[in-house]
Amino acid sequence: MRIAIDTGGTFTDCVFEREGQLCALKVCSTPRDPTQSILSVLRSIGASKQSLLRHGTTVGTNTLLERNGARVALVSTEGFEDVIAIGRQARPSLYDWFDGPLPPLVPEKLRFRIRERIASSGEILRRPGARELRRLAGLLRASKAEAVAVCLLFSFANPANERAVETALHGLGLPLSVSHRLLPEFREYERASNCAVNAYLAPIMGSYLARLETAARKEIPGARVSVMQSSGGIIAARAAAQEPVRTILSGPAGGVVGACDVARRAGIERIITFDMGGTSTDVALVDGVGSGPVTTRESEVAGMPVAVPMLSIHTVGAGGGSLARFDAGGALEVGPESAGADPGPICYGHGVTPTVTDANLLLGRIGPECFLEGGLKLDAVRTRDYFDENRGLMTDFKALAAGIVRVVEASMERGMRVVSMERGFDPRDFTLVAFGGSGPLHACALAASLRIPRVLIPRLPGALSALGILISDAVRDYSRTVMVLPGSAEIVRAFLELTRRGARDMRREGLTAIAVRSVDVRYAGQGYEIEVPWTKDYVSRFHRAHRGRYGYADEQWPIEVVNARVRMIARAEPLRLRRRPLHPGDGRTAIVGKRPVFFHRAFERVPVYDRARLQPGARIAGPAVIAEYSATTVVPPGCIARVDEWANLAINIVAKPLSARH
Amino acid sequence: MASPPHKSENFDPVELAVFKSAFHSIAEEMGAALRRSSFSPNIKERRDYSTALFDGAGCLVAMGEGMPVHLGSMPMSVRAVLDALTLERGDVAMLNDPYSGGTHLPDITMVMPVHLRGRAQPAFYVANRAHHADVGGAFAGSMGPAREIYQEGFRVPPVKVVRRETIQRDILTLLLHNVRTPQEREGDLTAQIGTCRIGARRLESLAARYGFDRVARNMAALLDYSERLMRVELSRWPEGEFTAKDFLDDDGITGRPVEIRARISLDPHRASARVDFSGSAPQAQGCVNAVYAITCSAVHYVFLCLLPAEAPRNAGLMRPVQVIAPLGTVVNARPPAAVAGGNVETSQRIVDVVLRALAQAAPERIPAASSGTMNNLAVGGTDFRTGRPFAYYETVAGGMGARPGLDGISGIHTHMTNSRNTPVEALEYAVPIRVRRYSLRPGSGGAGKFRGGDGIIREMEFLSPAELSVLADRRRFRPYGLAGGAPGAPGRTQVLFKDTWRELPGKCNLQVEPGTILRIETPGGGGWGKRDLSSRNRRRQGR
Repeated sequence: MRIAIDTGGTFTDCVFEREGQLCALKVCSTPRDPTQSILSVLRSIGASKQSLLRHGTTVGTNTLLERNGARVALVSTEGFEDVIAIGRQARPSLYDWFDGPLPPLVPEKLRFRIRERIASSGEILRRPGARELRRLAGLLRASKAEAVAVCLLFSFANPANERAVETALHGLGLPLSVSHRLLPEFREYERASNCAVNAYLAPIMGSYLARLETAARKEIPGARVSVMQSSGGIIAARAAAQEPVRTILSGPAGGVVGACDVARRAGIERIITFDMGGTSTDVALVDGVGSGPVTTRESEVAGMPVAVPMLSIHTVGAGGGSLARFDAGGALEVGPESAGADPGPICYGHGVTPTVTDANLLLGRIGPECFLEGGLKLDAVRTRDYFDENRGLMTDFKALAAGIVRVVEASMERGMRVVSMERGFDPRDFTLVAFGGSGPLHACALAASLRIPRVLIPRLPGALSALGILISDAVRDYSRTVMVLPGSAEIVRAFLELTRRGARDMRREGLTAIAVRSVDVRYAGQGYEIEVPWTKDYVSRFHRAHRGRYGYADEQWPIEVVNARVRMIARAEPLRLRRRPLHPGDGRTAIVGKRPVFFHRAFERVPVYDRARLQPGARIAGPAVIAEYSATTVVPPGCIARVDEWANLAINIVAKPLSARH
Repeated sequence: MASPPHKSENFDPVELAVFKSAFHSIAEEMGAALRRSSFSPNIKERRDYSTALFDGAGCLVAMGEGMPVHLGSMPMSVRAVLDALTLERGDVAMLNDPYSGGTHLPDITMVMPVHLRGRAQPAFYVANRAHHADVGGAFAGSMGPAREIYQEGFRVPPVKVVRRETIQRDILTLLLHNVRTPQEREGDLTAQIGTCRIGARRLESLAARYGFDRVARNMAALLDYSERLMRVELSRWPEGEFTAKDFLDDDGITGRPVEIRARISLDPHRASARVDFSGSAPQAQGCVNAVYAITCSAVHYVFLCLLPAEAPRNAGLMRPVQVIAPLGTVVNARPPAAVAGGNVETSQRIVDVVLRALAQAAPERIPAASSGTMNNLAVGGTDFRTGRPFAYYETVAGGMGARPGLDGISGIHTHMTNSRNTPVEALEYAVPIRVRRYSLRPGSGGAGKFRGGDGIIREMEFLSPAELSVLADRRRFRPYGLAGGAPGAPGRTQVLFKDTWRELPGKCNLQVEPGTILRIETPGGGGWGKRDLSSRNRRRQGR
């Protein structure tokens, strides 16, 4: 049995396959100990023995965003302790004197030095002395550090000194993050940052994943736990615990993989993904789902470079559970603080501060009765009371609710601009794939503002990230810097070694994998490489790619092969989804009632459809509300929703005339 | 002439946003192409370059996140090219002459027209400028204490380096024969040409999609939009004249301080400003002379910083701001004055002076002086590992001036530059230098209610015999504090050879033996506000 569980700040979503059927389950998260909600899910779905449990987690992201990770000590080559603070000596915004970088993860008193040096050739100029290593261990012990990062100059060229430090520090019993193991590539600041981030997350992620694995095994004998990586591939929980830096965008990556799968089936090539959960919203642009989402090795998370592969995802600090309040100047603000699962929004019965979900309830956009199919009853009366109490200068609770929706949609819109317009893409050329618990509520309004012509709401939108995790391949990446001329036997030797290591690791996980080989190539003297597949004609492929990307190529110039890369891929079993025949109709039989819903300036009585009863081919003209187990879709006046043969809702958007914009 | 505010009310706000971002992202994409395909550490690692887009008349439409010092000077390069040459489809013009569109000789600029089908005249232009590690002349690295421009390197007026898609080997070879590291230069210059093509290609496809008229209309609308933003800002400032002065330590030749004066007239009713540098020192004997383009850049930079962060950087911004700099002064030099340091040192001091004047008008918005020097280091020689010549250039960051309400940031480039450091792991691979220390310089930031950022200490050992040039300032006149804050610590430069430390002047050139160690300590930023008990007990913010 394959089970995927995506834990968010507010809800935990689960998708599993039972007898060829895809099922979903949503429960409230237990942020203090996420394993609790996972165990309750496993119990209620009756997971069978030997199940494969795949997990998406926000523990890493939240730790970085909230800056509540471990107390990290960093060991650097003497003279370079401040590199982690100086960074690249550049400022983040060129024309703003008041902007500034966040303080570094490692404060001055936790930066330690060791007298050692490797030359650029890899030659050891000075080995760390035994006495100094002992002294270092003592200083680290006294520093009360909870994790240690080690990043010495040129360790990618010769790891000997880093290994010596590693050995000397083993006795501390602290998680060690050693730069050449995590990322054997040049540029000391980026490598140190990547290493420090890993150390910052290691104690928290390590104990969390260990707890999860133990608990899961107790519940399901023989269970195998693996974790989604930011790159969109799965790795074993044990490997993730050692390299938590690879899991920072674990959950959001699942959403992007899931959205690509849905779009591919629906025959859509260019998408913007819009994953609005309870706490935050993730937005990504995929220009060609056929070739898959783009990964980058030059990400920044919370202002720090992270150099392991990640999908390009932009996170907005607002979601359905985001708290609304008036700031000192009287302006309405929504997020980034969230009601989370505890106390949750007012309508869940415990919260007292208005949230986006509460606003949606009061505006009739979500119904009290059909949330989680009645598994959670929403209290509208209680919500209205608190809104009246907190309405500030607004005329009434409705005005406050409408204001909250407008404000949160404005911040979502900014996020979408970042991934589209700010990268030179015109949203008009894309389809918005909206999911997460709250995505379908706001998708049409956002699409109209950005003039996105079409919205796609997948089946089980609340669980799409979990679905993406379920269908992701297990992937492990290996690389080695070779720095040789083309044709060198060293390349072949590197591939042999990397493939052997990869195959062994995958076998240990019980996986059969294929190895995909590639090389990073550049003209001798350049600082960046182009990755090309390892084929007979890789050199001419490089010249071609270089001309296309950079406007020139010269076949006479010497080239060098910098890295050999092997990606081990164990393909996940594809989902066997059935394409269903289209039966044109108006979906009338799926109407379960009518209720007043607020659009623009007033309430209108609109039909409420039960999505589960809609047949492929049904065409619904807005205004309408389409409710289902884990989400609600709002179809504004003028928009037309159609159910496609994969049971997605495809909605054509009419652009709002400019005068009607908020 | 300044145009009236609100002249194009009929724009579509969404379309304006789309095009603003599209233009900016083309400029950024050109920057990424240059960084990823160039060869010298100064371009690929330190990103000492700028990329920009221009309309058919040569007005700046968008600039990438490059060097602020190129802000006002890139348009003058395009202007100079248009005055000197008729560009045809597939041509690329090259120049570095500060007296015809350049800044200082190491900055080589390429300009390419974008021709659209059915139009005889270029529809747009793209340009990029990169700082080359050597362009010949008397001093390795072409950043030495020269007396006239002829000693500073090979001077190129606007010429066609590419004609109809064909690189002009004769022109390129002429240039390459006059520089110390021809191979690296050829690579970087080719990358600059490729970068032009990338920008042109992206503009062509934008025009193919939307049509020329729509693209051009939005370019014009964006210039007007920027102008409106600037006028709204200027209408909020108090009316009056505000004057200030500051000094460069010396010009590297005479040892005498060089004064820069500014008188700023703010007119909120007409929503305009005038910055007049009359009374500044006559052009200097040494290389600290700035050409007019640089003085404009410095003023543009300061006024741009007053706007919201997302304001588009284009020609419209400066319509309401007039810059007056008398010819023959250090802020508007005449040939054959040497100018290598004008771009990097004098530009920073001009910013300091303009800020000091503005601080009188709105003290709560202006930071204290930042380090005020780029601490330029140029090195050349023969690499003992390969037997081949090398040239290397870098600048070292300092402390940022304290801001009203915030400490200054330590070890960061400020104002007219934003070049990165060269990673030690890239530097030692490329040239025979070993970095021994790269750290913050504790206590160098000026005290105050808010403290100035600390400078940096950088130590390098030379492994081959080498020639060094240092161009640095703020060794004597320290970065000022504001509102009662103390000035930052001055910078210093020393060399260690055979166990003896020797102090070097701010601007100098010397030959060193292998094993010599150079130590540069960069100035801290000035403090802001009087220091009181609470600020003494407060821990430093940030790094």
